[in-house]
Amino acid sequence: MDCGVFTTNYREDMAILHHPGAKLKVLVVVAFFLALPFMVNAYYVSVVNLIGIAIIGAIGLNILVGFTGQISIGHGAFMGVGAYAAGIMTATLGWSFWIALPAGGLAAALIGGLFGIPSLRLKGLYLAIATLAAQVIIEFGIIHWPALTRGPAGMVLPAPTIGGLVLNNDTTFYYLILAITIGAVVFALNLFRTRTGRAFMAVRDRDLAASVMGINLFKYKVTAFAVSSFYAGIAGALWGHYLGVISPEYFTIKVSILYLAMIIIGGLGSVMGAIYGACFMTLLPILLRETADFFGGGFAGLTHIMLAMQEAVFGLLIILFLIFEPEGLAKMWHKVKEYFKLWPFSY
Amino acid sequence: MKKRGFAAVICLLLAVALLASGCGGGSAPPAETKKEIVIGGIIDLTGPTGDVGSPYHDGAKAYFEYLNSKGGLDGHPVRLDAIDYAYEIKRAQEAYNRLVKSTGVPAILGWGTGDTEALKSFVAKDEIPYLSGSYSEHLTDIQACPYNFVLAASYTDQARIALKWAKDNWREARAPKLSFVYNNTPFGTSHLEDAKAFAQELGFELVGDEVLDLKTLDATTQMLNLKNKGADFAIIQGTSNLAATVLKDARKLGVETQFIGLNWAFNEKVVSLAGAAANGYIGVVPFAFPGEDVPGMADIKAYLDSKGKEFKDVNQNFVQGWMSAMVMLEGVRLAGDDITGPGIRRGLESLNGFDPAGLGAPVTFTSESHRGSVHVRLAQVQDGGIVYLTDWITYK
Repeated sequence: MDCGVFTTNYREDMAILHHPGAKLKVLVVVAFFLALPFMVNAYYVSVVNLIGIAIIGAIGLNILVGFTGQISIGHGAFMGVGAYAAGIMTATLGWSFWIALPAGGLAAALIGGLFGIPSLRLKGLYLAIATLAAQVIIEFGIIHWPALTRGPAGMVLPAPTIGGLVLNNDTTFYYLILAITIGAVVFALNLFRTRTGRAFMAVRDRDLAASVMGINLFKYKVTAFAVSSFYAGIAGALWGHYLGVISPEYFTIKVSILYLAMIIIGGLGSVMGAIYGACFMTLLPILLRETADFFGGGFAGLTHIMLAMQEAVFGLLIILFLIFEPEGLAKMWHKVKEYFKLWPFSY
Repeated sequence: MKKRGFAAVICLLLAVALLASGCGGGSAPPAETKKEIVIGGIIDLTGPTGDVGSPYHDGAKAYFEYLNSKGGLDGHPVRLDAIDYAYEIKRAQEAYNRLVKSTGVPAILGWGTGDTEALKSFVAKDEIPYLSGSYSEHLTDIQACPYNFVLAASYTDQARIALKWAKDNWREARAPKLSFVYNNTPFGTSHLEDAKAFAQELGFELVGDEVLDLKTLDATTQMLNLKNKGADFAIIQGTSNLAATVLKDARKLGVETQFIGLNWAFNEKVVSLAGAAANGYIGVVPFAFPGEDVPGMADIKAYLDSKGKEFKDVNQNFVQGWMSAMVMLEGVRLAGDDITGPGIRRGLESLNGFDPAGLGAPVTFTSESHRGSVHVRLAQVQDGGIVYLTDWITYK
């Protein structure tokens, strides 16, 4: 398929989509997603919405963990910062959603960057604990600052409007999420063709060597935290406004762990991996439940056991992926494609 | 080699799944002429409130089965399509969408405070009557939650009733000292503000709150605080695990506070978990205990007999689930042929003093108020058994 693709200048060499077939594929995929709400019922649209939000968050975490090599267990809390910042702007101050959304992202980036500062001195496990502190502090802050966040009771957020159209159902929100998700993917793909993106990867591979090469570690580590948290903030703000309600219970450490699982299963250091991981982790509980319902119809006890097994299945999957395919679903998909590229005449 | 190992694991999983499928023998449903009515359920079986959610779900499901064995709802077979959401809001949202937008249920039996409040705007928009296991005061706000129904006395009313009773039975000259013990979730805190205002009105002296996690196993710090402050009463809002931890640590440290649990914090499980430490514990009881001498128990007994079970195999949360299903289906029955969200809402709103045959307080919903009841009973643990202190009372 790729035969005969030659590049004659650097611009072509750097292209994300090398040949017409790939461009066509992307067009087909985008067209498919544009048409999706007309083909399936609102439930499936709502599932795709949740996946879209998860993709934005997962790409953000992958920028930090997969590309820059800085671990973070505070991603859920950074989503919370974005959701609450945007929520306070739309619900309390009455600002437009279109200002609040990027502002929520920026607020999360600011807080994320702040909590990223220790990354200059801390690595690996120590950094993980430092970001865990971020998770706990932010959660505590949200619960114990009722004047701003209304405490554990949560906030009711208004639906965004565009012109006269109120985005209060799955389909209208779908297009908003789709547009932002595409933007997030394109930005991330391009980020790693820039100096900043390459600096991130240099830091990941060996930060000492990177600093010898003239990369300002402090600047790039904090930038990575800020960019990652910006994505998280956008995901949080979108989710909050989609749901219409936010409370501290939405942004717990479980969310952080779930996002880590997404990028580990999807593939660390791969934008597509984050997408696959987000799809997989959102769909897994649904598939497990449907399987349980299908097999356990007659037996309430069996359904119960299979439901309880969900957490165990999550754990098992992470272990299996770490052992057998550390580069995740993205790598698996790549291998499948490679295999069929030369099939049936593979050597 | 690696690939083969991975494949082997997948094969093993598939084999387990296949084995499991072999066990699920389907029984052919009897020929029905009328259309089946499916009510949705969003229930916690495996999450942090699974300890009380599981029996609640069993009770609700049991009522559906029982009604079917009696010929269904005016001839319609009924079914509860329940989804476990493990107390995670994201999964509750997904379950809700699946039920409403894919299955197309006209009404839902819900569960927790956090998720019920998270879904309230969806519920209002999609016009889905939502009867939840949460009795949060916020859900009685009919402007914000026109489709939420609150079956029993709200947590705030429960706390008020307990406080009124405590004050009425207070014999000393000084003001009684009061503390609140709760978990920092929407469920744990919805009653605080109003209950505190009411306590001050009654002349309690508030001595500060103690906050615990739902799954905590250690409450020593908080109980020491209570002891130092010399609280006379403490209102517990949590589930059985939290209440049992509090009672055990309080006894260990010799705390003399009289604990009063709101409904989820007071049940048989607390008594069995806390053992002797539960003695003297007072609870707010909006529903009957299994085996109580009320007419409604006859149906539950008939159901349990048919399953070869006894009253001791179920608990109060079972009765609660049973009664929730009963009230919901009564609303569906009153909706007549209009089995839609608005129809069932009208049906529920025409419940006027609906008597659940002693399983709970009579339920009244109107188009102005979805506050089902303001009556509860108070009970106390005495020598390992639960003894009622009052009949159905209210605070007004």
